[in-house]
Amino acid sequence: MPTLSGFHSGRSLNGGVHTVTQTIEPELSSEDGQEPPQQLSLGTAAARNLATTTKTPPQMQGISSRWLLRILPWVQVDGGVYRVNRRLSHEVGDGRVCFSNIGDQIQIVPPTLAELPALRALADNTTLLETLATHFTQVTYQPGDTITECHAAANQLILIAHGKVNTSTPGEYGDATTLATLADGDYLGHDVLARPDTTWPSNGTAATPTSTMQLSRAVLDQLIGQYPELGIAISEYMAGERPHQNQYGEASIHLTSGHTGEPLITGTFVDYELKPREYELSLAQTVLRIHTRVADLYNQPHNQTEQQLKLTIQALRERQEHEMVNNTNFGLLHNVDLKQRIPTRTGPPTPDDLDELLALVWKEPGYLLAHPKTIAAFGRECTKRGIYPTGVDIGGHKIPAWRGVPLLPCNKIPVSDTNTSSILAMRVGEENRGVIGLNHVGLPDEYEPGLSVRFMNINEQAVISYLVSTYYSAAILVPDALAVLELVELGRGIDD
Amino acid sequence: MTQASTSTNGVSPNGALTEEQLSSLSTAAARNLASTTKTRPQMQGISPRWLLRVLPWVEATGGNYRVNRRLTYEVGTGRVCFTVTSDTVHIVAPSLAELPALRYLAGNPDLLETLATHFTQRTYQPGDVIAECHAPANELVLIAHGKVSSTTPGEYGDTTTNATIADGDHFGHHTLIRADTTWPSTFTAITPTITLTLNRETLDQLVAQHPELAAALDTHANEEFPHSNRHGEASIYLTSGHTGEPLISGTFVDYELSPREYELSLAQTVLRVHTRVADLYNQPHDQTDEQLKLTIHALRERQEHEILNNPEFGLLHNADLKQRIPTRTGPPTPDDLDELIRRRRKTQFILAHPRAIAAFGRECTARGIYPEDVEHDGHTVRAWRGIPFLPCDKLPISDTNTTSIIAMRTGEENHGVVGLRQTGLPDEYEPGLSVRRMGINEQAVRSYLASTYYSVAILVPDALGVLEQVELGR
Repeated sequence: MPTLSGFHSGRSLNGGVHTVTQTIEPELSSEDGQEPPQQLSLGTAAARNLATTTKTPPQMQGISSRWLLRILPWVQVDGGVYRVNRRLSHEVGDGRVCFSNIGDQIQIVPPTLAELPALRALADNTTLLETLATHFTQVTYQPGDTITECHAAANQLILIAHGKVNTSTPGEYGDATTLATLADGDYLGHDVLARPDTTWPSNGTAATPTSTMQLSRAVLDQLIGQYPELGIAISEYMAGERPHQNQYGEASIHLTSGHTGEPLITGTFVDYELKPREYELSLAQTVLRIHTRVADLYNQPHNQTEQQLKLTIQALRERQEHEMVNNTNFGLLHNVDLKQRIPTRTGPPTPDDLDELLALVWKEPGYLLAHPKTIAAFGRECTKRGIYPTGVDIGGHKIPAWRGVPLLPCNKIPVSDTNTSSILAMRVGEENRGVIGLNHVGLPDEYEPGLSVRFMNINEQAVISYLVSTYYSAAILVPDALAVLELVELGRGIDD
Repeated sequence: MTQASTSTNGVSPNGALTEEQLSSLSTAAARNLASTTKTRPQMQGISPRWLLRVLPWVEATGGNYRVNRRLTYEVGTGRVCFTVTSDTVHIVAPSLAELPALRYLAGNPDLLETLATHFTQRTYQPGDVIAECHAPANELVLIAHGKVSSTTPGEYGDTTTNATIADGDHFGHHTLIRADTTWPSTFTAITPTITLTLNRETLDQLVAQHPELAAALDTHANEEFPHSNRHGEASIYLTSGHTGEPLISGTFVDYELSPREYELSLAQTVLRVHTRVADLYNQPHDQTDEQLKLTIHALRERQEHEILNNPEFGLLHNADLKQRIPTRTGPPTPDDLDELIRRRRKTQFILAHPRAIAAFGRECTARGIYPEDVEHDGHTVRAWRGIPFLPCDKLPISDTNTTSIIAMRTGEENHGVVGLRQTGLPDEYEPGLSVRRMGINEQAVRSYLASTYYSVAILVPDALGVLEQVELGR
């Protein structure tokens, strides 16, 4: 008997309350050895038939706080397209080289070699880039290995395929001063391409196991001998004049200051980008179907159509936030300027990494956005250092913060298979030249701002269809409005 | 028409629509009919310009601002400058006249040149003792590069740290004047340090050879200054706590005879707009207006840069030498900031490069402290001891990754730092900035002259302090 009851109650956990009562009642009676007492009043089971159950509206787990949608200032886009006009920028997009690997064997994705400024002219010459890519050799370093030595002769172009490299130079008083951490897709020794006899500008030390692809100057010289186009491209890059520009790469506005007497004052004008980026409103849509019979009859106390719609809209909004973070075209993660991306120094999100991230959006840091797991990992790092950052209040919610900048949870920021994630830092608002959300309010059949629900038809199976659509996009007005801390390792620093 | 053509071309053999063939108007085509929402031109080079926001602006009518101060007898102890060729350090000879005892030789460059060649170079490693307290002192030591801490025995035998001195500072100045002296404190190298020393024997030889040198040192030794307070200001004589009927000291407050005058400096540019652009392309944004706005932003950025870096009136170059302190160890530690803040009453702002702020954050974190943020002008900003820490990217960062942090008191009534400008300019566009039409040339280009006038004055030297040699990458 005990075994049986154990079995039953074990199952009842899954099966619901009903099973428990059924099992226990006979068990009690048999132990006492008495007849079950005569029922004197109406049982609850019977009473329930007369009573109305209080019913919740349908509940859904997939609803998150959607902080990103709440904090972004929304700008009305009337014509469906939003154009971000910027000052003319001479910046040559030094992008990242991409790699593919089969097992341990790393290969360069040849077209991405054109991201190196000196090879940009070869972007159309894919065969040459492919040849070039095959001449790189793979070199692997262990943590602590020296990759480059400051002031030593440089004769390799080093592309970091995977791993982190710390660079440093001798400081003011002889000790090392850390400059930056380079990671996947960055490179060292670009000057080697341009000039034969150069020296390394800094020490490079592998911080993690690092795989690099290297091209020595000797091989390059051979290749230049074989392919005159390569030589031409490089010498053109060398000869190319860089127009006057400020530290952000914007064409200079010429000013004269602090002068005495009557020098000629420089004339100037502010040049704009000729092909500014245009953001088209993207959309999320669905067709919600509901049978007329359901819609007509089963409406007490909850309107069926309305509940269906509510959950659908929640799902649409979740998708909208997901797209605004991850869309390859306009998503924030994909549109961070390369100079605004930094890897973590050691791995886990340390307070130092966040300080550095905030220094990138120092002009008016608005918000930090991270996956809840990342926030927990950051909390661990703070605790380990014995500090407890004070939180801030946003709209009545107590939010964790770092240096007074709220650290908002956003589960749409992806966590990779290797348990790494990113932290976004942003400045928001059109007048702050920050990040803004784009939408269009005033749609036909608008249900809530920027979201319309339109009756489509009733088909011959008596199913009503509603078209639910929302239009949105996100724009970064000025590149330094958004920065990202990449390669944040979440599973480190527990129990050590 | 469109319908017909779509149905013929757009249907695949099995009758369904292919992906590329749309059954209705595409967005690309629709865009041709719709108007794009256009932003104003965006510019990356705009910073919050906190310095311009926090400085109280004082009218300098007449283009000049004179800072009248009490008469000071202080002899300006400047810094000696050095040049480095590979490993050898040379003194920039004229800068030797910054040493009080040698200042009468300022007009004698030849002698200073000779003197400069008689210094010997020494190198110390961190921890090396350069001079021991109470030991006989017989040399003048100039610090060419490095940091040296000076300590004395404390009340109960342990050492008490007095100060950290760095590049360009010197000690053992008294050996120039008197022969048998002792070191007032122990000097220890904190970093690898290069010094240039002048031995008392060498000096004696030189004195014998060059009577001018002897005369100059003599004049300095016998110089008598009237009574002054610890800031070097001529005393105001007071009598206090007396009983009976002593003679009460008469007094007056003397002023500097040639006070410093600040002329308004300027930043100017000529903005050119083609009349065709200005006349026609004005919807929805006025072209001239947008051009002007960005130019003014650039002017204001330059203004902030000049207020910090101009060699004549810029704050970094005008901080009093006594108000410049090096970091003790290198990175900006809370201790360094405390030292910086304590040097003046009512420090109102600390200005630092964003990277220096990050480095300071690191140092705080390493010590397990989390400074409270403060609300400043509607923004949450970092703070230390309740003093807002404002970011400013105009503070230079050297090649060796070092920078400076500025602390200041502002306002005329606080005897602090004030910004100077003049409002009420003809064709004023915003306070202190005028935009004037110049004319249209024969290429139909209209020119506007945009000018802004500004300067900055430190009313009392202790209003501004600079923490120097802040290392960022450690």
